[in-house]
Amino acid sequence: MTVKRLLLAGGALLASAPAASASGFQVYLPGHKSNGMGGVGVGLSLDQSAMFLNPGALAMVRANGVVLGANATFARVAFRSENGGPQRDLQSTVTTPFNFYASFGPKDGKFKAGLAVYTPAGSKLVYAEGWEGRAALTQIDLKSVFVQPTLSYAITPQLSVGAGLTILALGSVNLQRDISALPYPGATIELDGKTKTQFGFNAGILFKPSEKLSVGISYRSKVNATVEEGTVTVKGLPNATPGSNSYSASRRINPGFTASNFAATLPIPAHAAIGVGLMPTDKLTIGLDVVWTQWSAYRELRFDFSGNNGNGDYAQVGTQGQPGYFPANTGTPGLVGGNNVSISKRSYQDVLAFRLGAQYKVTDKLTVRGGAVYDQSPVRDGYVTPETPDNDRVALTTGLSYDVTEKFGIDASYQFIQILKRTQTQQQLLDNGTTDRVAGTYNSFIHVPGVGVHYNF
Amino acid sequence: MKSFFKHTAPALALLGLSLGSCKPDLENSPKSSAGQADFSRYVAVGNSLTAGFGDNGLYLEGQLNSYPNILAGQLKAVGGGDFAQPLFTDAQANGSGYLSLAGFTGGGNPITVPVTTNRALRAGSTAAAPLFTKFTDPVNNLGVPGIRMSDINTPGYGSVQGNPYFERITPDATPFQTYLGRVQATVASLKPTFFTEWLGNNDVLGFATAGGAASSLTPPATFAANTSLVLDALTAGGAKGVVVTIPDVTGIPFFTTVGPGFRATLTANSVPGVLALTGAAPGGAASGNRKQIATVDIRDAAGAGRQLFTLTSAPFLPLLGRPTGAPWRSFVPRAALGSYLTAYGIDTLQAFGATAGNPIPSAFILDDVEQVQVQNATTAFNTTLAAAANQRNLALFDANTFFSSVARNGLVVNGVNNTASFISGNLFSLDGVHPTPRGYAVIANEMIKAINAKYGSAVPGVDATKYRGVRFPQ
Repeated sequence: MTVKRLLLAGGALLASAPAASASGFQVYLPGHKSNGMGGVGVGLSLDQSAMFLNPGALAMVRANGVVLGANATFARVAFRSENGGPQRDLQSTVTTPFNFYASFGPKDGKFKAGLAVYTPAGSKLVYAEGWEGRAALTQIDLKSVFVQPTLSYAITPQLSVGAGLTILALGSVNLQRDISALPYPGATIELDGKTKTQFGFNAGILFKPSEKLSVGISYRSKVNATVEEGTVTVKGLPNATPGSNSYSASRRINPGFTASNFAATLPIPAHAAIGVGLMPTDKLTIGLDVVWTQWSAYRELRFDFSGNNGNGDYAQVGTQGQPGYFPANTGTPGLVGGNNVSISKRSYQDVLAFRLGAQYKVTDKLTVRGGAVYDQSPVRDGYVTPETPDNDRVALTTGLSYDVTEKFGIDASYQFIQILKRTQTQQQLLDNGTTDRVAGTYNSFIHVPGVGVHYNF
Repeated sequence: MKSFFKHTAPALALLGLSLGSCKPDLENSPKSSAGQADFSRYVAVGNSLTAGFGDNGLYLEGQLNSYPNILAGQLKAVGGGDFAQPLFTDAQANGSGYLSLAGFTGGGNPITVPVTTNRALRAGSTAAAPLFTKFTDPVNNLGVPGIRMSDINTPGYGSVQGNPYFERITPDATPFQTYLGRVQATVASLKPTFFTEWLGNNDVLGFATAGGAASSLTPPATFAANTSLVLDALTAGGAKGVVVTIPDVTGIPFFTTVGPGFRATLTANSVPGVLALTGAAPGGAASGNRKQIATVDIRDAAGAGRQLFTLTSAPFLPLLGRPTGAPWRSFVPRAALGSYLTAYGIDTLQAFGATAGNPIPSAFILDDVEQVQVQNATTAFNTTLAAAANQRNLALFDANTFFSSVARNGLVVNGVNNTASFISGNLFSLDGVHPTPRGYAVIANEMIKAINAKYGSAVPGVDATKYRGVRFPQ
């Protein structure tokens, strides 16, 4: 199975997640074993998903093997305007974050090499038709697929280290909103682009002083998802054909929408984690992780517009000095709404997530799991945007594994995430200079079921 | 691997569907409620703003988007009943006729054209004194375009010699019923539990839009006495309600649109100033009614300078320095023109705006002196309205404070910018004075805020961005 084929499969499957699995637009679904335990694993060596959680733990995973998992996320986002009025439900969208891990290495050797493919960030939301925030956003689809070659080395039987090269191999962004400021109803703008390949790293250490205790730390660097040549599509501008009723109005409006391209950068933030694993008996494993995410990297969402779609170019109509005369005009390129740059404040703050989980080996074949998460929101009061209707999250998780044979087993997990109800007022938006978004209350649930398989060799 | 996804996806989808039926619920945050008020029968008293006037006319679309109609629609969520308006029929949907935007000149100036089809004119109507198709069913919306607070107890105001909009809704049996009488009769018959009262704008507006050259400011004592009369009539049955203050008219596009461009043109051509008439007093060049206006004293977009030019002056200012009688003909009836020009000592063969013989008409400028008069009257009226509301324990919507803020800072609604600018600002219609449907929706929302604050109610607002601004040619 080549990397290329994996990526194709991932792309075909919409490798994004709703604005949901973790704070901001993070997706924290390391693998079904971890998912079922509230996403813990930095201080454990559960399986090959260590490459995501703590590459230092990979060398402690005894067997070589392949882990493959997929999730479906069902987001239920509701919004109600500060003014009251009807509840606006998100149109249901399903996304399928996935992960694939494979590790190789000499049996009982000190080295382990691995390859991971996963989706650490994404969001897909389609708001209700005609909702109050349509000037800010009608829909978003943000995807990312990372590929990560990994090396891990056990210095001693108690201490191992590891690192991976995190490659943003595939990424895309699609944002759509209404241009409600225009006197022409139904005008929309769509920004669509693919990210360029970017590199980062992750690294970690696992220390296992006894059979009953292990401690790990890991770090993942920030990777910028950068779109350099995205396309801008504006629809619904007035007809600019000379002689049409809207010709003269189009000359006022259309030259403000000449951009054909945009550039933007979205940080996928760095995070550092510390985890503790307790194995009081052979059958019971308990994990506790604290994850710090450096969301402060996300200061603003900036779009730089460029290119020229010709909307500003007009030939002369009529004769100078006569009624009905319009001079020729050459448009200024790179404009959207009359500006060549659009800046929307984010001002995210660094946050902590607390993850607690346990697994219990019921029989030789069956393992059951449970966990809980408290995930702080990086979004300050008055900064909540429709593309990330965020607040602190609490999640409950469960999962199981069943080993069909010695080598082959299936895994399943389920997470229920509640994004706590969040209200922001127009006054907060005015105070913060964030009136490009909408005042009201968001409330969201996310269900994330998933299944996968593992094969050890 | 593909087959793995293929086989698991339907199973996951099924699971998700069953889980997904559990939805977040926000319908009760906040839950709509009437609080201490009873909204079952609502009556609106006021002028053109209450009628839904816009684009220099009253027509069906404007009536449907009047703030009382929008408000009544929202009140239905908290026990409000039907709200009858004197709507024009579909066949006569253009009502009085109105202005529409045909487009823009090559120079970017708006071109407005009157809509004169499908009007609600009846036999005997003339251009100077229109008569509308009668509407004598009971109505909850008593908005009468043009009415002043000072008019409410004028007998004959609803006769064919009076206000055609009031005449239209005045019962045939009582042609001399005053507006106050109509309010009293409506209170007696409809027994309103709730009302909005927004009279008084025309007590300053008529004077202001005439540049101080015509009409008059209502004496504060008259205003206070009539305010008491109308509020006493409305509260006679114990109804609760909202009293609305009068916005400062100097912030509306009618006064802020033309001056900045004119000043820029004068500056570009190094013209130090212009000559104008001031006030309404007749007299020749030596009588003291001429006023020299320095170019730098014309208010620009940033607010520097004092003199305000009316929207009606726009077609004539380009004639500056040329001999012309066109400006005078635009507002003086043809038959009276000769005597008017003689009375004011005007010679249309002289250079317009540059000479004492042919100054810019007073009707085109609300000058600094007149502005002070308008401001003083507005302040006095608003003091009266606020005191009267407090005295009767009624809610007060301070439209003056609200529109001052809009004029200064604009108004962002759900991520959409609106300003007090002409045409592009979305809030003011083509007459530069009256709101667009969006402007009326914004007013309804502000009124709801005042109601909720006073009566502990939770009346939901509307999404104002769903209401149109100025309609552009499609």
